[in-house]
Amino acid sequence: MSHPRDPAAPARAAGLLVAIALLWPLAVIGEFHPWALFEARNLQVMGGFLAGFLPPASDREFLACLGRATLETLAIASAGMALAIVVAVPLAIASTQALSISRIGPGPGRRRGEMLRAVLRMLLVVLRGVPELVWALLFVRVFGLGPAAGVLALGLTYGGMLAKVYAEILESGDGRPARALLEAGGSRLQALSYGLLPGNAQELTSYTVYRWECAVRASVVMGFVGAGGLGQLMDQSMKMLNGGEAASILLTFLVLVLAADALSSLFRRQLGDAGTGGRAAAIGPPSLALLALLGAAVLASFVWLDLGLAALLTRDSAASMADFMASFLPLDLSVDWLLKVGKGSLETVAISLLGTLLAAACGLLLALPACGRHGRALEHGTRLLLNTLRSVPELVWATLMALAAGLGPFAGILALTLHTSGVLGRLFGEALQNAPPAPREALLEAGAPSGAVFLYGTLPEVTPQLVAYALYRWEMNIRMASILGFVGAGGLGQLLYVELSLFHYAQASTVIAAMLLLSVAVDAASARLRRWLA
Amino acid sequence: MFRLHDASLAHANGFVALREVTLAARAGEQIAIVGPSGAGKTSLLRVLGAALRPTTGQLDVLDANPWALPAAQLRRLRARIGVAHQAPPLPPRQRVVTAVLAGRLGQWPWWKGVASLAYPLDIAGAAAALARLDLDERIFDRCDRLSGGQLQRVGVARVLYQQAQLILADEPVSALDPTLARQTAQVLTADAAARGATLVASLHAVDLALSCFPRIVGLRDGRIAFDRPAAAVDQALLRKLYASEGGQLPELSAVPAPLAPSSALGSHASFARSPLATVRDRAPQASDTASVPASGCWR
Repeated sequence: MSHPRDPAAPARAAGLLVAIALLWPLAVIGEFHPWALFEARNLQVMGGFLAGFLPPASDREFLACLGRATLETLAIASAGMALAIVVAVPLAIASTQALSISRIGPGPGRRRGEMLRAVLRMLLVVLRGVPELVWALLFVRVFGLGPAAGVLALGLTYGGMLAKVYAEILESGDGRPARALLEAGGSRLQALSYGLLPGNAQELTSYTVYRWECAVRASVVMGFVGAGGLGQLMDQSMKMLNGGEAASILLTFLVLVLAADALSSLFRRQLGDAGTGGRAAAIGPPSLALLALLGAAVLASFVWLDLGLAALLTRDSAASMADFMASFLPLDLSVDWLLKVGKGSLETVAISLLGTLLAAACGLLLALPACGRHGRALEHGTRLLLNTLRSVPELVWATLMALAAGLGPFAGILALTLHTSGVLGRLFGEALQNAPPAPREALLEAGAPSGAVFLYGTLPEVTPQLVAYALYRWEMNIRMASILGFVGAGGLGQLLYVELSLFHYAQASTVIAAMLLLSVAVDAASARLRRWLA
Repeated sequence: MFRLHDASLAHANGFVALREVTLAARAGEQIAIVGPSGAGKTSLLRVLGAALRPTTGQLDVLDANPWALPAAQLRRLRARIGVAHQAPPLPPRQRVVTAVLAGRLGQWPWWKGVASLAYPLDIAGAAAALARLDLDERIFDRCDRLSGGQLQRVGVARVLYQQAQLILADEPVSALDPTLARQTAQVLTADAAARGATLVASLHAVDLALSCFPRIVGLRDGRIAFDRPAAAVDQALLRKLYASEGGQLPELSAVPAPLAPSSALGSHASFARSPLATVRDRAPQASDTASVPASGCWR
């Protein structure tokens, strides 16, 4: 009996060939040399450093220092987050279509409204497209070394991200209640609080809490560019190859990230029960106490960090800032420099793509034991490993990998792989746990071996979700890859760092523009891929 | 072939699904299980398929006690048992060809399962199984593009492809219109008969069970109410079995309307109405022999 050929096969083969044709040059550009890890010299350096990890430094003086730096990190994250919310809320309200009055009808000023929204969205793209560490690096030059630069950098980048996501959340829900209020002559704020917030408050808060968690991780590394916190301490210890201190700091990272996780899941659980108290007041005593506590924490952060933001408002500092900004213009667009930036961009793309792909593979391998299919001991062990991997920020991994594999983009690839494996492993594990069990069980009952059961019963169910997670992570990693060069791990960051320390601002601004373009391009590519795969 | 002795099954929540059930079958036998909803039909099939361990009692399947076997041998035993589910557990994004080929994963070496994901290794086999259910045209479609009835027949095709020695079918035709339901049941019985495999099917429609299966087991409240040849099952016995459902016998004609058959099945759709009247009084008529071959289960 003649049978048809698989019609999907040629497309699959072509896809595979294209992938190889794309990845091969990227692997060359990214200097993907796994054997570098096993060169005698690198092994010796890394071995010596790791041997120093035990015992972790625990002398009183260092611990006091560590405690202060940890508090500073938390304060930077909280203050930066508060600033970000202040930036984000008005921007979100102004840029969301759900609260547009001129769209009703359409009424007068529709053109103007759309223009305004487009301009605001562009501003948001710039705010979040430039990595927070680059903002910090710039602000350090204006405000000097210290936490102020970190707080402002977080405030701007996270302000941009929050505003975009807030606006999207407000648009994604049911828009009719708000529209009805607007049609009845209500103001934007009234429509927001009576029409949109009841449906969206939980998601908004939950996303904010998640971002605070991210801010804690981000502020850990601010110190690498001199913006205070644990990173500064880590940078010093690494430069002196003091393994004991590095070990203590890494342990602190782990504790911080786990605590932030726990706190944020506590918050989210509380949110689920909100509004069921049956009281007249919208906010019950526990929530009120929580809010007061949060407010106090933010206030304390600002006071303790002693940012001196008031000085920003003086005429002198405004003038010097304007001068500083002006020195970045015009961009250096000479062919030589553009070629150099182009090469750096390719390297950055290579780092982000290879790092994300490798991490997706490792994450999947680690997710299998982490979702509890191979016994509890292995489950807990893998979870600890995943938490450790993701609690160490990419930039710190990059400094470690630069020791292990030498300076260059390969260290960047390794750094992204390690951190992202931790993140994706956890997300993948959750996805596998939530996969519908029926296909898997049916195959098991038909005597299929467990590997085949996974490939035929579970994987087809979760693949779209896994791919979406990996693509989201790629969007973050392109931003990360462009700053890993600050510690010598290749890409655009290396160029930017060198040019800024040579005061070549025109060249530096070209690099920043390239980072912005890359992040916008990757966002668009990833969104397209996700739509195509859905 | 299998021997279930004095088996009871209590679920984790305390619900007792089976009480002291004793049931045995020789190789090549074909048994239909009927009974009201909640009688324990699915539980019985899952116990026979070594998917649920009876709380008490003894089970021998294909000359082995599954619950005394080490894991690897239990897996090999299960590979010889095929199950057709009422709601086929197929991943929506999987292609039909892959879903059918997955039936033999228990017999294939691991590398074959992996390689077949890159390119289906036995398209001919999958196509042949699907062709018997008139679904070969959908072989490269994704499962989520199929209607509920088509999906159910893909599940049946998977069991056909598995070539199991014991076929357990849990309401395998519940989503099909009367004509297709009878044809599909007939494909199952013919396949089992041709290979000498044992077939146990739970069926909602009593008339289908009586017309297609030589031996009928009535199940009620987790107990076997009767177990006799189809010819010895009369209306009074059935009414007693279904007393909890108001004495109304569920028949093909009374089964809620299935999902609309697709264009691929258009040729059968024209027969969809004519057999209804004849099914009710179980009298063979010319119109039925036209749609069901002479070797069919029409007595």
